[in-house]
Amino acid sequence: MLKLLLAFLTLTLPFLAHSFSPDHPTDRRVLVLLDDLAVKSSHSLFFKTLQSRGFDLDFKLADDPKIGLQRYGQYTYDALILFSPTVDRFGGSIDLAAILDFVDTGHDLIIAADTNASDLIRQISVECGVDFDEDPSAMVIDHTSYAVSDSEGDHTLIASDDFISSDVILGSKKIEASSILDNAPVLFKGIGHTINSENSLVLKVLSASPSAYSANPNSKLSSPPSLTGSSISLVSVVQARNNARVLISGSLSMFSDRFFRSKVQKAGSPDKHEKSANEQFLTELSKWVFHERGHLKAVNVRHHKVGEADEPAIYRINDDVEYSIEIYEWHGKSWEPYVADDVQVQFYMMSPYVLKTLSTDKKGNYFTAFKVPDVYGVFQFKVEYHRLGYTSVALSKQIPVRPFRHNEYERFIPAAYPYYGAAFTMMTGFFVFTVVHLYNK
Amino acid sequence: MATRTLGALVVLLLAITICEAASVFHPISDSHRSAASELFTQGSFDSLEKAYEALRSFEVLGIDKPDIRGATCKSVVEKLGSSESAPKDLFYALKVNSILKCGVKKEVLEGIASRLKAVVNGASSLLDIYYSIGSLVLIKDQTSEVDVLLADADGVFRSIKSLSQSDGRWRYSSDNPQSSTYAAGLAIEALAGVVSLASSEIDQSMIGKLKRDVSKLFDSVEKYDDGAFYFDEKVDQSPLSTTASVVRGLTALAAVTSEKLKVPGEKILGLAKFFLGIGIPGNNKDFFNQIDSLASLESNKVSVPLILSLPTTVLSLTKKDQLKVKVGTVLGSSAPPLTVKLLRAFSSGSKDASIIASQELKFDKESGYHVLDVLPKSVDVGSYIFVFEVVLHDSEDETVYTTGGLAQVDVFVTGVINIENAEISVLESDKSVETQKKLDLAGENAVSLSANHLQKLRLSFQLTTPLGHAFKPHQVFLKLTHETKVEHIFVVGNSGKKFEKILDFLGLVDKFYYLSGSYDLQLTVGDAVMENSFLRAIGHIDLDLPEAPEKATRPPSPAVNPLLKYGPKAEISHIFRVPEKLPPNHLSLAFLGLLLLPLIGFLVGLLRLGVNLKNFPTSAVPATFGILFHVGIAAVLLLYVLFWLKLDLFTTLKWLGLLGVFLLFVGHRILSHLASTSSKLKSA
Repeated sequence: MLKLLLAFLTLTLPFLAHSFSPDHPTDRRVLVLLDDLAVKSSHSLFFKTLQSRGFDLDFKLADDPKIGLQRYGQYTYDALILFSPTVDRFGGSIDLAAILDFVDTGHDLIIAADTNASDLIRQISVECGVDFDEDPSAMVIDHTSYAVSDSEGDHTLIASDDFISSDVILGSKKIEASSILDNAPVLFKGIGHTINSENSLVLKVLSASPSAYSANPNSKLSSPPSLTGSSISLVSVVQARNNARVLISGSLSMFSDRFFRSKVQKAGSPDKHEKSANEQFLTELSKWVFHERGHLKAVNVRHHKVGEADEPAIYRINDDVEYSIEIYEWHGKSWEPYVADDVQVQFYMMSPYVLKTLSTDKKGNYFTAFKVPDVYGVFQFKVEYHRLGYTSVALSKQIPVRPFRHNEYERFIPAAYPYYGAAFTMMTGFFVFTVVHLYNK
Repeated sequence: MATRTLGALVVLLLAITICEAASVFHPISDSHRSAASELFTQGSFDSLEKAYEALRSFEVLGIDKPDIRGATCKSVVEKLGSSESAPKDLFYALKVNSILKCGVKKEVLEGIASRLKAVVNGASSLLDIYYSIGSLVLIKDQTSEVDVLLADADGVFRSIKSLSQSDGRWRYSSDNPQSSTYAAGLAIEALAGVVSLASSEIDQSMIGKLKRDVSKLFDSVEKYDDGAFYFDEKVDQSPLSTTASVVRGLTALAAVTSEKLKVPGEKILGLAKFFLGIGIPGNNKDFFNQIDSLASLESNKVSVPLILSLPTTVLSLTKKDQLKVKVGTVLGSSAPPLTVKLLRAFSSGSKDASIIASQELKFDKESGYHVLDVLPKSVDVGSYIFVFEVVLHDSEDETVYTTGGLAQVDVFVTGVINIENAEISVLESDKSVETQKKLDLAGENAVSLSANHLQKLRLSFQLTTPLGHAFKPHQVFLKLTHETKVEHIFVVGNSGKKFEKILDFLGLVDKFYYLSGSYDLQLTVGDAVMENSFLRAIGHIDLDLPEAPEKATRPPSPAVNPLLKYGPKAEISHIFRVPEKLPPNHLSLAFLGLLLLPLIGFLVGLLRLGVNLKNFPTSAVPATFGILFHVGIAAVLLLYVLFWLKLDLFTTLKWLGLLGVFLLFVGHRILSHLASTSSKLKSA
């Protein structure tokens, strides 16, 4: 019995938790670290949307001495949610390095900071390419696009609708209020950050308006604040090169039930929205972060000469080649054909010789045909597909290209007939001459 | 004199003690009711425990119950009828029954009562006792015909009490050393049940001990910054369920003891604030805990908390908003007759001087609000802290209700700020004005200025509040943006009403990275209490700055739009080598024809010369060699033709070698024959 159990454990353990991979994308366990267990109930709507999508949430206090991301060298979680902005030190075996390793192995991360965010949370964010305002008491203030509120008059409750224009990150359905058709803003209250301009993997998802600035609302300003205008990012996402995704928000309260249910009226606008866009915004964003959208896989890469079916080991210059590839997108439950009209293939040696957009049959199959250039050498078929919000598809397949063989050139060139004729008349004359020369008397 | 100093001291002390509590809590409102209807759907009635939570929440909120009576009552009767049901199941079945009135038979209840009494006497686990006692209390409440009284109430009381700890917490059972606040709540509620079930009076000294336990428990209460109190437990239970458990125990105990429990009103109010402060929970259990606890607090016998709330804390001077205050119980029902006094108001920057005299708010019976019709004249725009005092009219009410002393509320008074005398000018270094332009900061401006590094730019304007005071907004930024998107932000300072910023370009050239060219000017003025905050482009200034010296810092490279790297690239198609230009076919054929002419000429010439083959050997052997020699030559020539047509070089050379050897042999024979014949001829 014990043996059976052991065998079962050894068989199942490797499958318990992994980063997102095309082979087993379902059954995902998420560790949620909180400062205060009250957050579990005050932010329950957000957690409920995750649970209803099949995620298994494990709530722990951030300073719980028993928490850990790994056990026996295996990650026991697929994703981590840090709703603990003030934690100075995590309990258990979790620290900055452990979290970075977690992301480096392709796992996803959601960070919500807030005013008085701890150095630890700031450090994790910096490692992700996001710099929070260094002043611990600073908040994002906006005196022209704040949310009109009866109870908060200091304009730190911001109504922002400056979203990134990307259907894959924010969902194809426009962010809108439940009853009114125009766009409802997202409520935000917290600290701002800037994204490192050197880092091309970070994207601003929600930006502040040009009149926003980051400062302590209770003290007078003597010098210009370090963060101003629309360079302030409120919510940013990172997609690492290993396709791990990170969501960084400067506000924990934007995930709260209160903000999810709150009515919104943006200052200066007559529209009153029954509901803020927070729920839709964060639900769609969490779908993206947890790879329910925008994760591509490419399979069945094939190439061959026109009229043939098998893949050759080598091509000759000027051959006509057909290339095809299938691309699928993960939709939370199954792989669906990916439809786009901008997938491109390169025929590449040091630099692309041919770069062609692939045609598609809208069922995930992409194909094209082209002539091999008249340059020989070792080429590659390269598909480098980088689109905003999608995981990168980068495939390359090496293939040599040879020149013509000696007997593959054209043999009877009409323009050369005078030369041939000259040789043959010469030869005829020579033959006649030998006979005449030898036997004439 | 002495009394006055004392009075000032008291005011000062009060100001210190009430400094922290500033959040406004709102009683349960319609948003809770609509949330409840959304939250408790069909699936919330699966088990009797869940059904009770849903039904109790609906009952407290006064919402019509959904039509689930039939199915739920059926399972209640089943559970109560079965002799296997655990005390916990019986407890929740009876709870549902108390709301739905399912009409359970008296005999069934009697059977349960006797079984539960046996459980109570024998049980060692707190949970078993809690559920059994709770069930007995419920039976007692539902029918008076069943005998539920405990014969040995003192014994049961002691056995529960034996699990208590010195710090007021409780253990779940005697063999479990861990103590818990949640268990304390359960134990107190169970003990309250024992008191009500006791057939004879419980020993008063034991109840006294229990009361001391309760006050010890309240010593461990924790506090949020906004004045909310709660009980926390690191293990298993959330703060919400722990606090709810204690509140239930406290109110049950208060209901059965004749003597009043002594818990500070501030703490009771803090607990109420905790439940109100969590907003609308998103899961059923939390929602139930919140609503049920608030309902217990609403009618408890210790002290009923009264919540002072403001519908809005943002008052606009332009709209002439009234200051409205509502005082009500936690569930939103109206309070006993009382007066709300606005004691003091001071601006949040300086806490020393009150700007208004104490005054009473008028009670408006229709709306239920206490209203201050017109804000005092001395209230200008700004953020203030208003201090309210609630005074109950009836002194007996003071023992029933708690108002938590003084309530302190942050209030923002907003208004339109006047902007005057806005002008922008370019000054020479000796301060003489070169160009000066008026600005209308309420509308659009498109000023066009030019300056060099020896000149200065001056921007000035005046801000005054509606009452004519100087106003200093939080955000007064002047932003210069160069064509290359390099931004410079300056804070505009003020002296009194006048705001002025002088940019001395001579001192700024280095900061401007010596970048000449057009700079866009943008002015942002904003404040939380300024209704006409704005962000306005003023125009632009052309700066003529000196050339950058060698070691000057380079301007930061402009930010690359990260979105640019996405999107398809331009297609590349290979340009193939163009084949060489060849003459047309007929020209080649014409030249081919021309090439035959020399051969024809040669042959014709031979015939004209009268060639003959008389020298051909006559004897057989040399003739054979002669023929073979010429066949050989013909074969070599034919080989060349074949080489052109199909053969490759190696085949051709192989055959040529063989033919060459053959030709050498036969050629030698025929040529030596011809030589010998010709030498004979000469010698002859």
